[in-house]
Amino acid sequence: MTIELEPTASPTTMPQAAAREADASRAPTADAWKHRHVLDVDDFSTDEIELAMRTTAEMKEILARPIAKVPTLRGRSVTILFYEASTRTRVSFEVAAKNLSADVVNIAAQSSSVSKGESLIDTVRTIEALGADMIVMRHAVSGAPYLAAEHFSGNVLNGGDGWHAHPTQALLDLFTMRERLPGGSVRGRKVVILGDILHSRVARSNIWALTRSGADLWLCGPATLLRGFERWAGATMPGSARFTVASSIDDALADADVVMALRIQKERQAGGLLPSLREYTARFALTRARLARAKPDALVMHPGPMNEGVEIMPDVATGRQSVITDQVTNGVAVRMALLFLVSGVPLVE
Amino acid sequence: MSSSDAAGIGDRVSDLEIAGAWVVDPTTGREGPADLAVEDGVLARLDWHEPTGATVGTGIVVAPGLVDLHAHFREPGFEDAETVATGQLAAGHGGFSTVCLMPNTDPPVDEAPVLATVLGRAFESGSPVRVLAWGAATRGRAGAELASLGELADGGALGFSDDGNPIESGVLFRNALVYAAMLGRILVDHPEDRALTKGAEANEGLVATVLGLRGWPAAGEEAAVARDLAILADVVAADAPGARLHLTHLSTAGSIELVRRAKGARLPVTCDVTPHHMALTDEWLAGARRFAWGSGRGNPWEDGAIVALPFATSLRVNPPLRTRSDALALLAGLRDGTVDAIATDHAPHTQVDKEVEFGFAATGISGMETALGLALAAVEAGQLALVRAVEALTTGPARVLGDVPMAATGRPVAPGLVVGQAADLVVLDRADGWEVSARSLRSLGKNSPLLGMRLPGRVLATVAGGRLAWLDDEA
Repeated sequence: MTIELEPTASPTTMPQAAAREADASRAPTADAWKHRHVLDVDDFSTDEIELAMRTTAEMKEILARPIAKVPTLRGRSVTILFYEASTRTRVSFEVAAKNLSADVVNIAAQSSSVSKGESLIDTVRTIEALGADMIVMRHAVSGAPYLAAEHFSGNVLNGGDGWHAHPTQALLDLFTMRERLPGGSVRGRKVVILGDILHSRVARSNIWALTRSGADLWLCGPATLLRGFERWAGATMPGSARFTVASSIDDALADADVVMALRIQKERQAGGLLPSLREYTARFALTRARLARAKPDALVMHPGPMNEGVEIMPDVATGRQSVITDQVTNGVAVRMALLFLVSGVPLVE
Repeated sequence: MSSSDAAGIGDRVSDLEIAGAWVVDPTTGREGPADLAVEDGVLARLDWHEPTGATVGTGIVVAPGLVDLHAHFREPGFEDAETVATGQLAAGHGGFSTVCLMPNTDPPVDEAPVLATVLGRAFESGSPVRVLAWGAATRGRAGAELASLGELADGGALGFSDDGNPIESGVLFRNALVYAAMLGRILVDHPEDRALTKGAEANEGLVATVLGLRGWPAAGEEAAVARDLAILADVVAADAPGARLHLTHLSTAGSIELVRRAKGARLPVTCDVTPHHMALTDEWLAGARRFAWGSGRGNPWEDGAIVALPFATSLRVNPPLRTRSDALALLAGLRDGTVDAIATDHAPHTQVDKEVEFGFAATGISGMETALGLALAAVEAGQLALVRAVEALTTGPARVLGDVPMAATGRPVAPGLVVGQAADLVVLDRADGWEVSARSLRSLGKNSPLLGMRLPGRVLATVAGGRLAWLDDEA
């Protein structure tokens, strides 16, 4: 939802292979990239999504090399500012930045209260004064990266804010689906996101990315964890397909092409949203029997970290249809692509 | 407008003549072109022109000084957000000659000496804006035991409110209502069912769902309004026929409907709405900047209404900005008399408390100087008649207060344009707008979502009790 419409600096140069393809087809060129920051995918044009996907494919080629490192962001400084515990996303960004030869600074901050310690704006100004070109940020409060972006002259990449958005996750999910689905597209494919939708930034960013890409998206979970989404499903969002909200897991999984289970947290029981995790597992866990309702080669996904035996059974998580480890690898490639795209520097091989 | 001497704020208006202004007198419902003159602080002449069938004036308008039932001036305790003196200056700029302050200071106004301090500050400031005050209903506004209600009443409190907090305990709410009735005072409730609003950040609805903000459901207000009205009915029938309940900053269509029915049943209840709940909507959180009566169906994504960044903390307010249909229901309530008054809920905050993550930001809008402009915007949009807007800002709140100011302070609140009495009026130019900015706002609280926007109706002068509370530099 950034309103930034200025390209950042010098015109971006595409990775060579992508540029070749761009010449050959109607693929979007680097000018399609309009974002100084990556705060959410809600205002990404389809051209920008395409460009992100193509650039990710390039980055994945780099990852496949014996030495998965390019000097593209040499001399650039990336600060990873995480106000919430995370291993997966933090390490993924760190590896991505290092693969591009950026200098990486890690800050684990506390965000328990506004009255304690330094304000977010002061922290951002300090990071800028220390020479950071980019900030990758995670925060427990929805919208926090927008505040950081307002006060930072470089680029801000959202590594997850509150319940609001997790754009790099949505793009890596989309990339993984396109990579694995026959035809390389999610258009018309039935994608089910299963679990605690209400508290999920992954679900929200995926709604934007998948409906804009033409998927037949279904959100499924206990009714208490779907509150409000019926209204979103009924709203007209230009350029986006409609999606379906259902509490019947049988309806949701029927003939699905992709099933993505979300982490369910124990606190939902204490919060009065669920009778018990046991009951959740009995009704909504992704089991082999339930997965059989989906298409035979349906993809199984999970953004992690998983509670195996709660929202997904271990044999499903590691089974033939699981692409969960692909998601992790693709996460690095997507983050490399986005760091590169917002940096505005040419890709140096 | 001509004035003989250079005059400053606080000065008695020695000689002010206004010829051919559009005068609005809500006490009689009369409006039209007239000449008027203030001499030595007294309204000396008001000569209505012969009726000519002239349409409503769009130039200079004169109305009685505005009355605000609900403002926070932050003194004592939070003087970096507002003082009584800066609040009075903001009031003058907003056209208000009388303001009623809420007791959520530090210490709160739950004891008579704190009340005396606040009222003393208003007197010392030199501003003629009349400051009245509500006392706290419960000690420390903590909702556990009654505050010193009798002593506060003796000290001049209009009544009692824990504003910012509801009185969660039904039995304590009932006792406060009964005890206030014994004292001849009003109980003002901030209706909120805290179990339904715990952690809430924005109106529960499409915008909050999409932005991942914790929802503050309409039912969180309506359940509290329904409870309050049930207890009021009980109290009036059983113990205290003189009980008076005022519900402040109602924000939902359902609340208005509950009050409409209660008034139909002749319950002694009144209510107010704020200018921001009436004019703005939760779409603003997503980055839309259109008034409630503008285009759209409540989905700012569907028709390209998003023109600003989302999550602006100046929009964080309690109760939250609601939907378009809620705002339109508040306006309908104003038109049919269900809503008695427009009250600002002026809630200045420092930059430190607002320039933070949305969910950490203090709730409240600095609204005293933009209230009249938003009301006039509603008039221009055909949502309110000019005379009704003026009424809701003058005689409406005065009727809510009734004879209480007389009993509490020995002086009534009686807005009107009465020849021979001390002049208490606002002069504004409807043909001229003004830009809301950190500079143009006189309040220390710059936390307005309207910064950078132009509002109709520049206030040229505000006269309170015959003295100048505001004089525009260019007037």
